[in-house]
Amino acid sequence: MQKMKNLFAAFSVLACLGLLVPGAASAKDHTIGALFPLSGPNATYGDVFMSGSDLAVEHINADKMLSGPMSIAYEDSQGLPQPAVVGMTKLVNVTNVPYVLSAFTGVSKAISTLGTRNEVVAVNGGGVGPDLAALGEYFWNVIPLVNLEVRAVMPYLVKEKDIKRVVLIYIDDPFGNSILDELKTTLNDAGGELAEAMSVPTTAQQFSGIAAKVRAANPDAVYIASYGAQQIQIVKQLRDNGVDQQLITYSGYLVPDALALPETEGIIATGQGVNYESEDPITKRFVTDYKAKYNRDPTAYNVNYYNATLLYAILAQALEAEGKEVTGANLLAKRQEMESFNLVGGTVSFQSNGTLLFPIQVKVVKNGQLEVLDTIDFGK
Amino acid sequence: MLALQLTITGLQTGALYALTAVGFSLIFGSTRIFHFAHGATFIIAAYLFYYMNVSGYGLIAGIAAATAGAIAFGLLLNRFVYVPIQRDEGSFFTVFVASFGIGIVVQNVVGMIFGRGYVTVSTPLSFSVEIMEGLYVAPIAWISMLCAAVFFGILWGFLKYSQMGKALRALADNPELVRVFGLNPRFIAASAFTIGSILVVPAAIISGATSGLNPAMGHHVMLISLAATIVGGIGSVPGTLLAGLALGLAESLALLYVDSQWTEAVTFAILFLFIIIRPSGLLGRSAAH
Repeated sequence: MQKMKNLFAAFSVLACLGLLVPGAASAKDHTIGALFPLSGPNATYGDVFMSGSDLAVEHINADKMLSGPMSIAYEDSQGLPQPAVVGMTKLVNVTNVPYVLSAFTGVSKAISTLGTRNEVVAVNGGGVGPDLAALGEYFWNVIPLVNLEVRAVMPYLVKEKDIKRVVLIYIDDPFGNSILDELKTTLNDAGGELAEAMSVPTTAQQFSGIAAKVRAANPDAVYIASYGAQQIQIVKQLRDNGVDQQLITYSGYLVPDALALPETEGIIATGQGVNYESEDPITKRFVTDYKAKYNRDPTAYNVNYYNATLLYAILAQALEAEGKEVTGANLLAKRQEMESFNLVGGTVSFQSNGTLLFPIQVKVVKNGQLEVLDTIDFGK
Repeated sequence: MLALQLTITGLQTGALYALTAVGFSLIFGSTRIFHFAHGATFIIAAYLFYYMNVSGYGLIAGIAAATAGAIAFGLLLNRFVYVPIQRDEGSFFTVFVASFGIGIVVQNVVGMIFGRGYVTVSTPLSFSVEIMEGLYVAPIAWISMLCAAVFFGILWGFLKYSQMGKALRALADNPELVRVFGLNPRFIAASAFTIGSILVVPAAIISGATSGLNPAMGHHVMLISLAATIVGGIGSVPGTLLAGLALGLAESLALLYVDSQWTEAVTFAILFLFIIIRPSGLLGRSAAH
């Protein structure tokens, strides 16, 4: 019994010391959430996204930007709305995070209401559906949305490559349908024509029949709007089944698995323009450390989730300096207050709809590498 | 010409569906075990072949490894999961949940070992050639159909004429009578798992070359197998074979009449039609209660 009393007394003294030592009380762990696809057919994106956010956490903790260590609580969204809502509920109600990294259009739309209702900021760096610009003030995008990508590539192809008739193969979900709408309008304005649009279910894996229909339509080019393993299957099966027309796609295709596929050669894709050769210290440090850690060149997705994580640290650091609590509402207010942010790629500002504006590059895959054909800056 | 193209494409797809589904049907028909992890067998065989291929061991070694892996998985699962559950008189649902769980475990283990992304077996056999104007067929399409014909021919002969084949059919009909005749139902069930697992191997290898692989594709394989088994008639190997081919053809030919997004729905529309109009399936026997 006496031993127990001594032990209790020792703990009490240690606890009091902890309260009295300067800084000990204010040091606070910072945990943010992330809803990434970690399993299922879209899991390949999870690794890509995490490599960016994990590197940012390493840098933030190494620089001691915050009063305590920062970490990310990952939840598996599978790239699907229903598991994502379950994960978001856990992050909001159990982990109590003020800030969540999100990806995929369907996932982001599904969790945005939970974020708004609970005043938790959700930041998307991977989904590109145009609807994501209108999900309320607690939903931010650090990635240009796909409507800009379509607006960049189609006039270029009509003008420079004389591509007039396009067949669209799109996934039957909100993202795919938004590309359909955008492509119709943009092609029409550019003087082209949407010859045929073929939607595919999210679970489809056989596309040889679709390839036969594409050949029958005889377009100048085929635009592919899907994601995950499915988009790579579409490209492979189109090429295997005699479709030799120009293939066009968006930034979601530019993942290592797709670039490694021989059938990807010659595909034209759009993506946000990031100057990896920039001399600004943040970009330089990111590029150097990313290559050293992962032994490969960074892509826009890595940049986006690095930026999304770094953005939290910048905002939280500013709030702590003012003695304010790091809550979703305060993060939002601070973001609206701060004019611009120094992130990878340079100094950037949010548009009024909470979306960062980046230039769009039109690229072609040559020998598994991306070669820039044109850069369109919508901000100018 | 489009109809002919879609017919050939449908036959290729149907042959793969049939090979996968017949394995499941044989196991389920003989043992009444709802082997949901059949999709995992497909994944294991496909990834083993892929590994041997990219490691440069060649075709024969790849096929041998895929076959050995599939058989080993089927037998081990039967011995260490299904048999203990059945020994304790576990319900059909217990077996299903265990099998479903194993499928998820395999998906994650394969993802950890081989990566969670998309991989493909590169072969010139998957490139189509124009055999007449507007008609493209890849050599692998003929290989798929030939594999299906050869495997089903051997299976038919085995079930009809061999002692073990007769025992398998007997086990499906009346397990108690099998015991009375001095046969060992567990050994017969193990044989069903061996044959069922072998049947999935050609489909797994060919799919790796045509549509590519990712660790999560087992569930889709299983859905198609289940649909073909029900449409063909539960326990009927010839019925499942016909249903697999019919579902592949229907999925492809549907493109002539409906939007592409509905092609997969056609498979399940056929399934529902059979459940409503002919619950016993194409060649299944009606059960009297």
